[in-house]
Amino acid sequence: MSGDAPRVHSYIAGGEPEFMLAYGPGNGPQVLILQPLFEEMNRCRLLVATMCRLLAERGIGCWLPDLPGTGESPRALEDVDWPLWREAAAAAAALVREHTGIALLCASIRGGALLDDAVDTRRWRFAPVSGRSLLSDLRRSALASGSDPLAPAGYRLSSSLSKKLQDADIVADPASRTIRIASDDRPADHVVDASPLWRRPEPARDDMLAQLLADDIHIWSSH
Amino acid sequence: MDRMPATIDDMLRDILRDVLGLDAARAAAIDEDTPLFGAMPELDSMAVAGLLTEIEDRLHILIEDDEVDGAMLESFGSLSAFVRAKRAS
Repeated sequence: MSGDAPRVHSYIAGGEPEFMLAYGPGNGPQVLILQPLFEEMNRCRLLVATMCRLLAERGIGCWLPDLPGTGESPRALEDVDWPLWREAAAAAAALVREHTGIALLCASIRGGALLDDAVDTRRWRFAPVSGRSLLSDLRRSALASGSDPLAPAGYRLSSSLSKKLQDADIVADPASRTIRIASDDRPADHVVDASPLWRRPEPARDDMLAQLLADDIHIWSSH
Repeated sequence: MDRMPATIDDMLRDILRDVLGLDAARAAAIDEDTPLFGAMPELDSMAVAGLLTEIEDRLHILIEDDEVDGAMLESFGSLSAFVRAKRAS
């Protein structure tokens, strides 16, 4: 299965190298994947990896950057501000274009969709969420646990990051495609019957959902 | 839409099932007297946050931080009463 293993790349953001995984061939459609933010990134990691593998099997290249201060990034989250995340999304996209010479698409999940307007391309969004909602999750978990309100659930955000996040919302894009789950009645182009994996306290697996999303991206990418 | 409209309690059971990862039988067994915070091991502080946000999004209410206390989350009945009062106001 070594041929299926994701490849490690690095892109530069804020003058420093950051981590990015690549799945699949470099000669088909190429999709930059912007992952959920904070705890939701961990909870969705398996879903996202499964989706990328399924897409790779269908001849679609997937690029999965870890934003500065998240995942494998060498940087501390408290040193990150909002413009750096936007720069990172754009820099990751530029690297993919340079590397493959192919026009890329952008697929984002949950809070990742708050950054997809930094990438100039066609956009696919799964269960996009506002920054205000992500921040209130963090604030409430600190309230409920009595933990340090400046580092809710262990996530220490710079004041500039939380200030910008508070106002960050999904940028309207009539050409984008939005997928939501059935319990979410906000506007969507397509609805899938699945439960919100990003809420689960234990990392959960949902191969059916990964399949549905990969199918949808596959069809969308070929238009 | 050929589904029966869900009651508030049904919607709350679905939210608890989704947020806590309960199986269908355990979610269906939740009634007014089922104790929640402090009694359900899955309902930790992160889960409380997710529960409140899902309630806001699916039942279209806004919950202020100072409304969240032990009494509101004591049992399914108290949570349901809180949500009903919010929706009526």
